[in-house]
Amino acid sequence: MTTAQRSHHRTARPGSSPAPLARRRRRSLDARLLYVLPAAAVLAVLAAFPLVQLVRMSVSAVTSATLSTNWAFVGLSNFVKSWQQGDTPAALLNTLVFVVIVTALGLVGGFAAAVALRANTKASAILLGLMVFVWALPPVVNGSVWKFLLGDNGLFNSVFHLFGASSFPFLYDTRFALLSVALVNSWAIIPFNALVFRAAILGIPEEVYEAAQLDGASPWQEIRHIMMAAVRPTTLVLAVLTIVYAFRSFDFIYVMTYGGPGKATNTLPFLGYLQAFVRYDFGLGSSTAIIAVLFVIVLAVVYARSVRKEELD
Amino acid sequence: MAFTAEPHQPGRRRRRPRLRLALVAGAVAATAGLILSGCSGSGGSSTAGGSNTLTVWHYFSDPNQVKVMTDFAALFEKDNAGVTVKNVYVPYDQMDQKLIASAGAKTGPDVVVFNGADASNLALSGTLAPMDSQWSSFADKGQFPSSVIHKLNGKTYAVQGYVNLLGLWYNKDILDAAGVTPPTTLDQLDSAMAKVKAAGKSGITLSGLPNSQGEWQAYPWLTAAGFDLAKPSTSALTAGFSRVAGWVDKGYLSKESTTWDQTVPFQKFAAGDVAFAENGNWQIGTAKSTAKFHYGVVPLPLGSKGKVYLGGEGEGIGAFSKNKDLAWKYLQATYYSSKGQLIALKDSGTIPARADTAADSAVTGDPLIKPFAESVSKMGANYPGTKVPPASVANQQLAGGQAWSSVLGGSQSPSAAAAAYKQQLDQLLSAK
Amino acid sequence: MTSMQPGLGAAAAEPTPGGSVRRASPRRSSTRRRSTHRRTPIAVLSRVLLFVIYGVPVLWILLTSLKNPGDVLSDKATFFFTPTLDAYANVFQSGGLFEALAQSFLIAAGTTILTLLVAIPAGYGLARVGGRITTICLALLIVLQMVPQTANVIPLFQIFGNWGLLDSTFGVILADTALLIPFAVLLMRPFFRAVPEALEEASAIDGASTWRTFRSIVLPVARNGVATAATLVFLLSWGEFLYAVNFLLMPGKYPLSALLAQQVSAFGINWPGLMALAVLTSIPILVLFACTYRLLREGLTLGAVK
Repeated sequence: MTTAQRSHHRTARPGSSPAPLARRRRRSLDARLLYVLPAAAVLAVLAAFPLVQLVRMSVSAVTSATLSTNWAFVGLSNFVKSWQQGDTPAALLNTLVFVVIVTALGLVGGFAAAVALRANTKASAILLGLMVFVWALPPVVNGSVWKFLLGDNGLFNSVFHLFGASSFPFLYDTRFALLSVALVNSWAIIPFNALVFRAAILGIPEEVYEAAQLDGASPWQEIRHIMMAAVRPTTLVLAVLTIVYAFRSFDFIYVMTYGGPGKATNTLPFLGYLQAFVRYDFGLGSSTAIIAVLFVIVLAVVYARSVRKEELD
Repeated sequence: MAFTAEPHQPGRRRRRPRLRLALVAGAVAATAGLILSGCSGSGGSSTAGGSNTLTVWHYFSDPNQVKVMTDFAALFEKDNAGVTVKNVYVPYDQMDQKLIASAGAKTGPDVVVFNGADASNLALSGTLAPMDSQWSSFADKGQFPSSVIHKLNGKTYAVQGYVNLLGLWYNKDILDAAGVTPPTTLDQLDSAMAKVKAAGKSGITLSGLPNSQGEWQAYPWLTAAGFDLAKPSTSALTAGFSRVAGWVDKGYLSKESTTWDQTVPFQKFAAGDVAFAENGNWQIGTAKSTAKFHYGVVPLPLGSKGKVYLGGEGEGIGAFSKNKDLAWKYLQATYYSSKGQLIALKDSGTIPARADTAADSAVTGDPLIKPFAESVSKMGANYPGTKVPPASVANQQLAGGQAWSSVLGGSQSPSAAAAAYKQQLDQLLSAK
Repeated sequence: MTSMQPGLGAAAAEPTPGGSVRRASPRRSSTRRRSTHRRTPIAVLSRVLLFVIYGVPVLWILLTSLKNPGDVLSDKATFFFTPTLDAYANVFQSGGLFEALAQSFLIAAGTTILTLLVAIPAGYGLARVGGRITTICLALLIVLQMVPQTANVIPLFQIFGNWGLLDSTFGVILADTALLIPFAVLLMRPFFRAVPEALEEASAIDGASTWRTFRSIVLPVARNGVATAATLVFLLSWGEFLYAVNFLLMPGKYPLSALLAQQVSAFGINWPGLMALAVLTSIPILVLFACTYRLLREGLTLGAVK
């Protein structure tokens, strides 16, 4: 199809009136949209269908008994029930705290690590390699390691004991459990952000630094004015990816605290898991998952809009 | 100057597209190869490959427990020529979900070995086949106590071939050094822990996870204080929670227990610095291989009202099995037979469910097994509680575990946790 | 100070006389001037800090893999214990390690190939086409990433059951592909956007079809992005375990990630075994990472821009 359309423009000379160019662009727009078809087809069958099922489940009464039969439509009562039981508001709050911590620490830590490792030396490469290796380890391994390190007889508390202090309840105090897991999750995602930030920083041309040197800029000013400005577009993409990552985070909580102590580390994904697979109320669990999806839709729209706006500049 | 995609050299133009073509062809061939290799596994092998293959799903990864499965497979294959038993490992956390998902696709294993507490949920989801006709014609059915038979709406779906339950493990060396004997009452336990603590050791380890494991470990102490699932009372709950909260306050029990499942407490006990562990008979192998001190077991000192859940795996026939008769034959020959139960006892320390097997010298003569077997008859209780409607079982266990965990962690006072749990129980027990 | 758009220069194609397209060499001069600021105490301190907070857990993993199970939780044996290779021996003895390794490789390679096959064109299409439909597609791709994996298992089980794909490696590959397509598309799109339109227009003027242009011009220029996405997809599908464990129904078909889960049972976590297996599972990853590290490092520059 494209060849046929092309041949009719082959005779147009470059540099002639813009109209043929525009027409060609519009036509090639349509053509290139078809490139999205294979992905759309795969996703439509294998990803959209489960999403539709999820939405349907969230507005139906589905338990283990009724899973294979017809689902009774119950409107928003799953959402209401979860809210009234006090589970959703608490989980929502925990999730927001979690997301804020992981995003802030992940981005700031990633940027700081990128700045610290910006040299193109072997040492930096090895250190970065170590960090990315850690990122690639499965959460059950990372989570277990930190569960030990933060335990009463773990590394940190052993040091505290040496100084005569008592054990610090990292993972079993209601005030600190969520913070501890959020910190560990940030630790796990920092390497990915560092890698991307570093790549952006490495692309800054030499002349910019030379100009700054001539102006007598200190290292801090270099960081603030050159590097931070350079990574601003990067920060948007990474912020979105990190926020989504934090919103979905489940494995670390599962391994380290199982939502406890009590319900202190119940976030939306964990609550959804408890409701669907421990209490076998799939309708309830789906409604919790949908709440998380709704929050991210807002984020997704903001991202998509701002990306389009930047590209149209 | 016009840019060109490729230099105008005839030879080069011919070579480049060929390279690309080769790459694409290679990718397609690789993908095709993967498809073919992948598809070779499907087509009927998801359940029984024929009338001669029996698939058994289980979640054991401990070598001792896996040995039980392989011994059973060998036993059955020996007596049934031409039959192959395929033991399929499914991670514990995934077992129920995988069963439910496969039932949704109308497929599944022939035999299921699952967590007995999940029996009602698995039956409700249509993953288990009723076995009333087979069970009623089973000659030895009288040997099994009713507490190990799992029914739903009057139909039998699973029976436990063996029982796992909790006892009080003790470190004899620590007790001797503190001048204490293994306790037989709750007060003796309290004073023993006080003396042990004064001697510089920890009192007790147990699991405080906010889930069914926590509820399972909480039940003995709650019932000892008078709690009854059939008629829950807030005062009994408060008393039970208060006693254990007292242990935390006095330093006998660490708050960190809220992050422990049942294995970490026992590993800590086996490492030698704790006097007591509320743990189960399945740890016998671990104790043998890890503990470097003298240890023993006594029944949990619960008094007259205390009860201990009879846990352990339940065995059932898959709802979509194509070989239900063969599956029943397997169960009869292994889990429900005296021979099989003794194999399980020897391999992994599980307590036989059959009365005749429980009287065997292998049980009564073993100082570690005997206390557990005594507890079965003296204070064993159905797990899950019979008064809890099947659809509410999971909720009840979760609510109990969360209350238990919040008491141990100090986020709720015993009376607040008791009130919250009682409130949820009222709703759950009256639901249908 | 000026706000720069770095990265565009790093891997953009530069025409050279003679007509063929070549990449400019990246980062020619960035190394020289940093040395003055690299040795400041804060810089050194932060590098040491990073080394500690990422090195200590790795060290802990290694140490634990060499311990006896009894030593893991004992207070006295944290650093001083008699090392043993029992855990590693057990992993090899319990068998199935090499089958699992082959399965992991099959699943990861298959997923990578299939994902790239559909995501590359999609990334390109969404990069060049503008308007509302792209906005919707981008938002959809993000939303799809939010569906919990566990919520996908039951519907996919039904689909695969209907298609006879249960207990087949290809089924797992399909499921992983669907899972990773949004990530791959979002990651590769900026690379396609960074290909200068001028190149494509020139090629079109010469009479090349869109497909030809895509194949011969755009792909080579964006190959860093493709390599980056490929490596990440490979790593992610190598570690994927939920679909593998649920859709494979016979012993011997589980990949390494499921073997890892086997160390965590209802009755305990085999700490030395878990850590030993984690170490062993990571070796292929390390090898892959070493090979593609350079590509990853350079390639992610472009992705960072938009």
